[in-house]
Amino acid sequence: MQQRIAVTGIGAVTPVGAGRQEVWENLLAGRCGISQVESFDTANYSVHVGAEIKDFDPTPYFSQLDVSRVGRASQLAVAAARQAVADAGFDVSSIEPERAGVVMGTTSGEPREVELFDDHYVAGDLEQVGPEFITRYPCHVIAGHVASELQFAGVNVMIPAACAAGNYALAHAFDVLRSGRADVMLAGGADSFSRITYTGFARLGAIAPEVCQPFDLHRKGMIPGEGAAVLVLEPLERVLARGGKIYAEMTGYGLSCDAHHMTAAHPDGAARAMSGALIDSSRKPEDVGYISAHGTGTPTNDRQETSAVKKVFGDAAYNVPMSSIKSMIGHTMGAASAIEAAVCALAVATDHIPPTAHFKDQDPECDLDYVPNEAREQRVEVAMNNAYAFGGNNASVIFEKCQP
Amino acid sequence: MSPNQSSRRVVVTGIGVVSSLADDPADFHQALIKGESGIQPLSLFDTEKLGPCVAGEVRDFDPVKYLGKVNLRPVDRAARLVIVAAHQAFLASGWTPELRQEHNVGLVLGTMFGSIHTISSFDRRALEAGPKYAKPFDFANSVINAAAGQTAIWHSLRGINSTVAGGTAAGGQALAYATEAIRTGRSDAVLAGGADELCFESLFGFHQAGLLAASGEDDACSVPFDTRRNGFVLGEGAGLLMLEEARSALDRGATILGEIRGHGNCYDCSRGQDERAAEAVRRAIGLALSDAGLESEAITAVSAAANGSVLGDRHEAAGIAAAFAEVEEPSVTAVKSMLGETLGASGAFATIALLESMRAGVLPGVRGLEEREDGLGLTGLSATNRELEGRLGLVNAIGLDGNVAALVIERMNAQELAQRIVETA
Amino acid sequence: MDVEQIRGKIKDVISNVTNIDPTEIGDRASFVEDLQLDSLSLLEIGVDVDYEFKLGVPEERLGELRTVQDTVDLVQQCLAERAA
Repeated sequence: MQQRIAVTGIGAVTPVGAGRQEVWENLLAGRCGISQVESFDTANYSVHVGAEIKDFDPTPYFSQLDVSRVGRASQLAVAAARQAVADAGFDVSSIEPERAGVVMGTTSGEPREVELFDDHYVAGDLEQVGPEFITRYPCHVIAGHVASELQFAGVNVMIPAACAAGNYALAHAFDVLRSGRADVMLAGGADSFSRITYTGFARLGAIAPEVCQPFDLHRKGMIPGEGAAVLVLEPLERVLARGGKIYAEMTGYGLSCDAHHMTAAHPDGAARAMSGALIDSSRKPEDVGYISAHGTGTPTNDRQETSAVKKVFGDAAYNVPMSSIKSMIGHTMGAASAIEAAVCALAVATDHIPPTAHFKDQDPECDLDYVPNEAREQRVEVAMNNAYAFGGNNASVIFEKCQP
Repeated sequence: MSPNQSSRRVVVTGIGVVSSLADDPADFHQALIKGESGIQPLSLFDTEKLGPCVAGEVRDFDPVKYLGKVNLRPVDRAARLVIVAAHQAFLASGWTPELRQEHNVGLVLGTMFGSIHTISSFDRRALEAGPKYAKPFDFANSVINAAAGQTAIWHSLRGINSTVAGGTAAGGQALAYATEAIRTGRSDAVLAGGADELCFESLFGFHQAGLLAASGEDDACSVPFDTRRNGFVLGEGAGLLMLEEARSALDRGATILGEIRGHGNCYDCSRGQDERAAEAVRRAIGLALSDAGLESEAITAVSAAANGSVLGDRHEAAGIAAAFAEVEEPSVTAVKSMLGETLGASGAFATIALLESMRAGVLPGVRGLEEREDGLGLTGLSATNRELEGRLGLVNAIGLDGNVAALVIERMNAQELAQRIVETA
Repeated sequence: MDVEQIRGKIKDVISNVTNIDPTEIGDRASFVEDLQLDSLSLLEIGVDVDYEFKLGVPEERLGELRTVQDTVDLVQQCLAERAA
């Protein structure tokens, strides 16, 4: 009998607030966290909006590490991890540190550190670059900082699977728990707002000028953002023994690779990830009551994702609500699917579904139920979380109501 | 932890190597036992800003030699190293293009940086010429999983595709990740290992951090475990092992080189700064052994992660000594003495070196080892080659700041494997 | 700069992106049908051409290029506008 894995804690720092409750209320209310970019000058760009987190103070979350020596993505990750552990309601001292692990995903790691190096390079004053550049920059420091801050000395893995990284991290943590390598795992994703990422998507013409309108006929693109989310995963038996609360059960996942193009997705890959996740969790398409879409808001992604869902779900596709919270918090990169996983767990726990905001006109090629503009109260037995990334990395994860 | 319960064994059926020493696993081992060094004056890029530099560079790397006349312009150096190593591993393991069309082969790649050179170049071009002139190809390659994605495109790998970053532990972590993917039945065939490229950005960064054995200085020494050591030399390359579920590998008549018996992964919360680092090494070794269902006495050789770092090598030595405190200490080698610190590739190179050593029966010495540090407690260290009769070895893959992975591997041929499967059935 | 020089430079840019020998790129070659380029490669060529000739072409005009000849025409036109 395989271990069953429960989601017992949720932490998130997003462009629409921090902490499980605030984020969830704001998403259900359709609040939007998109505004003028402030972290760098966009005067030379053709677009100027982003989903930045304003007024984030990491200091309350740090007690072991010196917060000033930790990059912003790590700060966001540590904050989300601290929230998640507090939310799970266990005393950190009650767990064996060697049996507590961390798996995190990211797109860019700590991009600000290499951007500072680049500034010096271009200015011709590389001698100003100090020892902190190469020690703070590599992406694995995010999972490391979370572990050091919480003194979790077990399994520690960083998975930089770009925009699907949060789901990859959850998938790996799931297998770590199932194989008995840990008693508790923190899994999620984090990315800070990155000039490099913004420049790249702007160059590809993928950024919407004002609003992010996934699945809308007039959608104009994605909007880069930043954030972090961490979920606490534990074997069900252990949660029951300690009398902890459970948001959802994670029952399976599917990963696939397009092997097609670095930036242009192939719908077969997305479909294989979804089918794989359904098989892994022994579910049929009809069982799924909510899909958290990758839903970036680019013309191609939303059309292809819709077509992939139809391929996997058949007629049932029209009966499954599918929304994209990227309409409100933009594309938070490696954090995106972790925040969306939190949304799936909460949808399952509360029978509420957040909307796709800014939805006005139906696209004939996107003809599913995208939960336009208004949150919905509806029973969600099973939720599916989709994420796709550069490099053709696809991941779908399944969460369900937990019947112990 | 209890032994791994999966009935699915994970075997190695082919190896791909692109390194400063050789581009073939047998030549790689030959070079190691001859004590050749891949560490030479750097030629890949201008080091004016740093003065004379040595590095473990893959000199005159020419993918066309392996792949024919192809368009590699959309692919950066880091990904080219991986694509060529994958090409070699597929040739060696018999995974033909046709076979790869029929099956979903996975790829799990360990890397520290992806390509920090591509990422930085992309940003600098936008800074200097304006964001309008940022290069689209470079942006596509700026994601840290780019090399894995490009390799999947190149070789039609539609299975699990994951990139694992754990600094210099990444290659070992990737092999462990792939092993689990096969044990759990999620995959039957996964190419796994690691890669990183040499570039100005990382070399300069490590230099500024004071982590390198200072090139050009008379007292520069990057000999692992040597008392004179004062930092590492940066290297590069890609090492990949074709991992397969044992029965399906036997069924297709594959050559069997060895088996991944166990793995362990843990974290040192001091991030390499105090004795908790040594304790993490001991724990990872213990986890790998118990996963394999073995006691420490079964291990006859260790392929260490030591790279010449003052603290890192000391902690690893203490961790190994503690793990084998009750038994006769196995022979220990440290191939970074010849390859330099190849970052994400290093765990894969350490694994390949040990597997080839067990197959050939000769373990390379630690090149340049003259003055062993007092109190390291490693009796199995040697500057010279040793005969190796045992079939079980341990690989350490250790990060600079907290990540620790260990693998237990066994030399194995097809006949022995078939016998083993019958015995355990 | 005469049209042959412009065409030569454009073919060099295309060759640099595609690894196709400049002599094998026809004067009227279509990017998609003849050279089989994907949208990312097209964008890369557009950026490089714009950069090579320091044109400052609006995004939408770069996106309209379909052939080598289109590109030569655009560069000629931009250079003429700048000279005027």
